[in-house]
Amino acid sequence: MDTSWLLHALNLAYELSTLALTTLGLAVVFGLLGVMNMAHGEFVMLGAYAVVTVQAWGWPIATAMPLAIVVCGLLGWVVERWLIRPLYARPFDTLLATWGLAMVLRKLVEAIYGRGYRNVESSLATPVTLAGLQYPGYRLALIAFAVLLMLGLAFWYRRSVMGLRVRAMTGNPMLAQALGIDTRRLASQTFVIGVVLAGAAGVLLAPLVRIEPGIGVDYLLDAFFVLVVGGLGTLGGFAGGVGVIGGSQSLVSSIAGQTSGYAVVLILSILFLWLKPNGLLGRR
Amino acid sequence: MNGGLLNFEALVCGYGDTMVLRGLSGSAGPGRVLGVLGRNGVGKTTLMRALAGFLPLREGTMTLGGHDLSQVAPHQRLARGMAYAPQEDVVFGDLSVQENLWLHLDDRDPQRYAACLQAFPRLGERMAQRAGSLSGGERKLLSFTRTMGLRAALSLLDEPTEGVQPENIERMAALLRARKAEGAGFVIVEQNLEFLLAVADDLMAIDHGECLLKGAASEFGRAALEAHLMV
Amino acid sequence: MDSLDAVEHTPGAALRRPARRWRLPGSEALWLGAALVVLPFASNDFFAYQIALFLIYGIATQGVALCWGRLGFLPLGHALFFGLGAYLAGGTLKAAQQQPLWYLALPLALLLPAVVAYVTARLVFARSHRSGPFFSLITLAMTMLGFLAAQQWSAVTGGFNGMADIPELPGTERYSSFYWVVAACAVGSTALLGLVLRRPLGMLWSAVAQNEDRLQLFGYATDRIKAFAFGFSALLAAAAGALFALHQGIVTPLTMGFVLSTEFVIWAAVGGKASPLGALLGAVFIGYASSELRDHFAYWEVAVGAIFIVVVRFLPEGLAGLGRPLWRRGPAAAPGVPATDAPARHAPDARIGLAFEQVHAAQGGVRILDGLSLALDGPGLRCVIGPNGAGKTSAFNVMTGRLPLRSGRILLDGADISGATAWRVARRGVGRKLQIPSVFSELSVSQNLDVALWAGRLGPAASLARAPLGWRSPLRDELLDLFPALREQLATRAGSLSQGHRQALEFVMTVLPQPRLVLLDEPCAGLSPAETHHMIDAIKTVIDRLGAAALVIEHDISAVAAIGGDVYVLHQGRLLAQGTLAEIQGDPAVRAVYAGARK
Repeated sequence: MDTSWLLHALNLAYELSTLALTTLGLAVVFGLLGVMNMAHGEFVMLGAYAVVTVQAWGWPIATAMPLAIVVCGLLGWVVERWLIRPLYARPFDTLLATWGLAMVLRKLVEAIYGRGYRNVESSLATPVTLAGLQYPGYRLALIAFAVLLMLGLAFWYRRSVMGLRVRAMTGNPMLAQALGIDTRRLASQTFVIGVVLAGAAGVLLAPLVRIEPGIGVDYLLDAFFVLVVGGLGTLGGFAGGVGVIGGSQSLVSSIAGQTSGYAVVLILSILFLWLKPNGLLGRR
Repeated sequence: MNGGLLNFEALVCGYGDTMVLRGLSGSAGPGRVLGVLGRNGVGKTTLMRALAGFLPLREGTMTLGGHDLSQVAPHQRLARGMAYAPQEDVVFGDLSVQENLWLHLDDRDPQRYAACLQAFPRLGERMAQRAGSLSGGERKLLSFTRTMGLRAALSLLDEPTEGVQPENIERMAALLRARKAEGAGFVIVEQNLEFLLAVADDLMAIDHGECLLKGAASEFGRAALEAHLMV
Repeated sequence: MDSLDAVEHTPGAALRRPARRWRLPGSEALWLGAALVVLPFASNDFFAYQIALFLIYGIATQGVALCWGRLGFLPLGHALFFGLGAYLAGGTLKAAQQQPLWYLALPLALLLPAVVAYVTARLVFARSHRSGPFFSLITLAMTMLGFLAAQQWSAVTGGFNGMADIPELPGTERYSSFYWVVAACAVGSTALLGLVLRRPLGMLWSAVAQNEDRLQLFGYATDRIKAFAFGFSALLAAAAGALFALHQGIVTPLTMGFVLSTEFVIWAAVGGKASPLGALLGAVFIGYASSELRDHFAYWEVAVGAIFIVVVRFLPEGLAGLGRPLWRRGPAAAPGVPATDAPARHAPDARIGLAFEQVHAAQGGVRILDGLSLALDGPGLRCVIGPNGAGKTSAFNVMTGRLPLRSGRILLDGADISGATAWRVARRGVGRKLQIPSVFSELSVSQNLDVALWAGRLGPAASLARAPLGWRSPLRDELLDLFPALREQLATRAGSLSQGHRQALEFVMTVLPQPRLVLLDEPCAGLSPAETHHMIDAIKTVIDRLGAAALVIEHDISAVAAIGGDVYVLHQGRLLAQGTLAEIQGDPAVRAVYAGARK
């Protein structure tokens, strides 16, 4: 009985952690900059493929993260400069342009790696014993990492100079510029951070999921739904969104199966998009 | 610091194809205050936005310390010695008062705001409070304090006393005079004639984007000036 | 945005039309028809069969192009309706093999998806007309849901493997004669869309995309207009889906999925979202090319994606936009539509009355209206003045559904209109001219006037007829007499008018529906002194002619003096003073506020 509860709790924590990790990047890009980056999921996918790549090249697995960071960072910088920046005033066109980018990335990876599923070996899959329960060590590490990362980001957002300036820029771009803050450069840096976070999430999740070029869409939709339900631009909203979406999906999945869980998430999101598009705890 | 002389000539500027400013010229030098007055909708805020670099100039020139400003982006102007306090959205509402005062600065010199905080103790009491929860007048005080703390050679203030209590308006005038004595220049848009007359050396009255009246403040009678504000 | 052609209604237009610009009605559809007739003979039956598939996709793509290119909202999940149509038609036809009565249910296969679309759009757009990107996400989520359902509900849909063994359409042969059915449908949908786009409804659709706010202020229920268009586009997609079922004989969940939805968007974007023919050809060329090249050329789809990005960034009208100079869209054919009198508008005889009762409104935590109470009664001009932030435009906004009320009431003719949506207020006889002159920039001056004239006079049937294109009213003529500059520029694109002329146009549009209460927000902004003088004269003449009441927000004191009438002074969201201009000027409280001294 005891271990069963712990198992459920750990599984829930795991689900919420993966959701949080894959949503963080979009929370930065959409929540702070207001950019509807439809290619967000593809950046996660790129991160996962970074692991596939280093394994194919015979490099140590620890190089996957720096590779993903570099690739996503460079790509993010280019995309922000040439695709997003000219379209800041036209949200629809940003949505479409990033949609096109998502397609290009997806098809590019398809062309290079083929459409089949890849799996990544990980030695960290060894189980760890916890209060009489055997649980995959990697998952525990992931949960811990997710918590640390969120705390770190929360600190960055609330306390660091850059975080302050980003919040200033988001709330009052004109005043920010009047005070000497280069908002264009700051927006670019923020965007890059956002996509790098997405790529990093992909690297971390690679040993746990089936990797194929089309996995981006699900991550994208989940991330959007978390932000829509929780609200943009606040930490409380982020946590709330993760909780509601992740929690309901977990709950329903355990009762009625994976598909029903996803269906419930879709329905919830449609309702929020319709009735409360600013989410539960959106920025005022 | 660069020479704080601001000079603008024949500014033509507007939104879309509507020209709001139709050939305005003026200047503000070290230790001098240029006061700009006029009714609503005549182009005062448009002038300030143009001077701060937020509106492209259709025609005309603008120089600061002899250097042409037309290619200088708004965020680069502070480094050149020009500070700007807008008329609306004067603070970062989501940030605390403390953060509003320090986020754009690299150092934490407490002397920076000493004079202003002494004049407005209520601001000092509210350091941890979210700036968006301050009253309109308090926000203007915060904006004023922040701008004074920049110690810029030339500052543009757009309606700094709007919503501010009379006692504080007097203190603002005193602080402005003190900065003037240190050699700072100001361009101030104001509807409050008393305040303007207390600090301005030169005056400019605008209507329909054109200058109707320009010269040293001492030249004009109170009644003539009031007529430019009145209904 | 594809600009609709200037339709000249001035007499003699047919004679003055440059001879070079030939165009027959529906010529796009005729060309398409000719090409499709030639196709099977120029190639072979199998090629025609393959092309037919992309014609089918093309019809659905036309639906996407309609919503996106004409109305300005983007459905990201249109395959839902395509798939619904396919499954419903397939299921019905299979059942009909046993029981012929099922054939009667076939139209439902088209109507059901259309109804779902209409209801969804009504619900979403009624909440807020700024919900564009969220609407896109909703359609995407819905299509994912549909895909899931199609996969799971295997008893009905055949699950992942799909619904197979769908019979052919009786009387046709799948691999040969069915092509003609598809070709006919493609030509038919292109012709139908081309037709509707040239009718008043088509013009209203464009107006929605260009300036929905402005359109609502005329009394048009834009959420219903958008929902109807979305329903119609879903009908097209469902019809295409039905054809698909017949064409392929098998329907899988992929017909409802996200991938196909994306392809519709790409084909519409690249082909030309503003042009029905462009959208169709986009699907045919790119779709067919993709299916052939996809397997040979690994980077083909990357290239298509890259083209898509380029199109979004640089070519908003797609490749059809490039081809436009070749495909001259001259003034609409036929000898201009005969001028007829517009139906009369019945205005209640009662004396107009407006009252604000302690109205409070706020935005972003800032109090904008703080207990505003004012009243006016009977026709005539009044001015509203006040310093910055006094709440003048906000008072108008709160009256026309643009700013929510916190508390208090607004009564129009004794009826409570607090919080009513913009178009409902407009239908009660309120006209409003916005602070920044706001017209339909891509339409001609004449078309702008048409949209205003149709307000409140255009029923659903009339919106599809040609006659309203020729409606005139005596008021329209009088207004053009007052502003001859507009009469001279009837064919000019409204967006290229000078500021002064745009103000004039918006004013004319505001009063053309003969409102009883006219709200003018800075009608003289940006006008030279001569133009101001002219505008004020015109305003006084028209308001008098209409017997309407008018509230004019103005900063220019000479304008206020010239207008005459009572003056309301607003300050900090409240009414500070009311009276004639002389009384106001003498009021010490008003003087104090304007000189910035203590309150």
